[in-house]
Amino acid sequence: MDSTTQAGPGGKRVLCIEDEHFISELYARALRQAGYNADFESDGQQGLLKAQTDQYDIILIDLMVPTIDGIAVLRALRDPAKTPHLKAKVIIITNLEQRDEVRADIERQADGYIIKAEITPRELVGILDNLKLS
Amino acid sequence: MDYFQGLRTQIRTYLVFVILAENILLIGGIWYAVTHLGISLGYVALGAYAVSIIMTFIITFAAADYSMQPLQAIWQAVVHLAPHEQRVSAPNINKLVVGRVLVSHLAAQVYQIASVAEQAGPAPEPAPELKANFVAGSLPLPLFVLDSSQTILFANRAACAYIGRPMEDIGGQDIRSVLRMSFTSEHTLDSWLQEVKQSSVTASNTWERVRLDVTDNQPTRLFDLAAYYNKGNSARYETLLVLFDHTKRYSQDDQAVSFMALSVHELRTPLALLRGYIEALEEETRGTLTPEVAGFMAKMSATAQQLSATVSTILNVARVDNEQLVLKLHEEDWGAVVKAAVDMMSLRAQVRGITLKLTVTGELPPVGVDRIGIQEVISNLIDNAIKYSGTSKDVSISAGLNGEGLIETTVRDYGVGIPVAVMPNLFTKFYRDHRNRAQIGGTGLGLYLCKAVVTAHGGNIWVKSKEGKGSSFSFTVLPYSKLAEAGKNGDTKEITRSAHGWIKNHSLYRR
Repeated sequence: MDSTTQAGPGGKRVLCIEDEHFISELYARALRQAGYNADFESDGQQGLLKAQTDQYDIILIDLMVPTIDGIAVLRALRDPAKTPHLKAKVIIITNLEQRDEVRADIERQADGYIIKAEITPRELVGILDNLKLS
Repeated sequence: MDYFQGLRTQIRTYLVFVILAENILLIGGIWYAVTHLGISLGYVALGAYAVSIIMTFIITFAAADYSMQPLQAIWQAVVHLAPHEQRVSAPNINKLVVGRVLVSHLAAQVYQIASVAEQAGPAPEPAPELKANFVAGSLPLPLFVLDSSQTILFANRAACAYIGRPMEDIGGQDIRSVLRMSFTSEHTLDSWLQEVKQSSVTASNTWERVRLDVTDNQPTRLFDLAAYYNKGNSARYETLLVLFDHTKRYSQDDQAVSFMALSVHELRTPLALLRGYIEALEEETRGTLTPEVAGFMAKMSATAQQLSATVSTILNVARVDNEQLVLKLHEEDWGAVVKAAVDMMSLRAQVRGITLKLTVTGELPPVGVDRIGIQEVISNLIDNAIKYSGTSKDVSISAGLNGEGLIETTVRDYGVGIPVAVMPNLFTKFYRDHRNRAQIGGTGLGLYLCKAVVTAHGGNIWVKSKEGKGSSFSFTVLPYSKLAEAGKNGDTKEITRSAHGWIKNHSLYRR
């Protein structure tokens, strides 16, 4: 599912990099009904490029996306050489448990880590509502 | 210079005394023989000369011997400390007749020079005695002998084979560059050695699941490490290391958890969708359904949530079993933590017609907990309370400070209670009360996990129950201040855990 932005007035902008079509659909529904402007990308590389335009308040990244995976996207976003400025909060959304090798990276570089099966779409909205944005 | 003066004086004194004494005795003997014994002077004089000559020999030999002793002692001290020399014992200074002070002083200097030379000297060659030692050489476990600067003095055949490098290569090198080890915590070989060098004369320690980092053509190895330290060993063998290889078993354990993680992921993917669709359906049909059907929707929602929790429990139990469950303890507001957990369970309680009542007594100090981990404990206890409530409609949760200054939390139900026979096994894995299995579904993992998590928090968990009256499960957690005392760091260097999720500085479950 690619970007279909709803131009809501003054709503927070969310980018969701997620390749599972069905879950994207559910999240899109809940986010837009709550007044968010939500964009979706199903490819890691495309998602990174979009994120680097720095027009989002929140970026949700699934760990298992194609071309380049979520960790690579996260690292690129936190690398000042690749992404000089990023105002967004970056949250990893996944159903994977943190593997040792990436755990340290995620804890250091992401602003959050959510397991999709542990929450419903509305609960995700609730979490984002309570996020302190820069 | 004083010592030499002292020795000189000693020798002169002894000699003068001995010779004077000899002369006095001789003259006294002569006078006595002539005046009282009436022997003619001629014969007496001859006798005196004879005695004098004999005494001369005796005194001379003795003087030479005793004067040489200090020199011999010093030679012995030097040779004793020289490396690779024939085994000469240390000098016995107390047996000296003269020059004891001088020799003690010089011997001390020699010892000092020897130890300084040892530290500053070039890399020592592998100890020849060890090479020839049957036990050290043939031990079928990798063995390393290190000196005080952690340089490899000796590595046996098994050790060289284990790391794939010959003795000539690694002898004289620092162990840390030869064996690149990763430990499971910050208590490494290095940190232990630093500690014991300061505080102990001998010490030993073991580490499990040490990883040998992959180098060029050597595969990853996983082993247990045993170390023995002794200070001031005369042969400079300060530290002994023995490795117990468990590569196969430990990597299988890692595989087991990876398999578990993969399975969990496979389960969670459709589960996330299911929960999303149920929620969407509930929203879309709100107000249009009969109460009965609306109740079904609520139950679907609660059940899906419970399924999600069970999947996490399975993963965490697998982690506990493989000693891979680790917690991150932070300073938290206990009231908020318990309330969030109770809120999470509210839907599941509601669909069974049960009311959850939360009471927090008094002003509670901040606690040191892994928020997600401890919330799982509370959820599990409430889940059990709901399951075993029977016809009762109330479950109460209370929290307060107990007599020992710990934060005690109790989940109480007024339902079927637990038979006495069942009580001892309650916190073991898979345990289910056989009588109730038919009526109430579920695995016996929840309490097992609760106990593991509470124990890892430094707390205790226990149960009181009466059949037909209900049960109360209680557990304690430590105030954050007590944790800091117990040496467990809160926010800086702690072991990490992956959980349902976390948001930095944010309550994940706030609604």
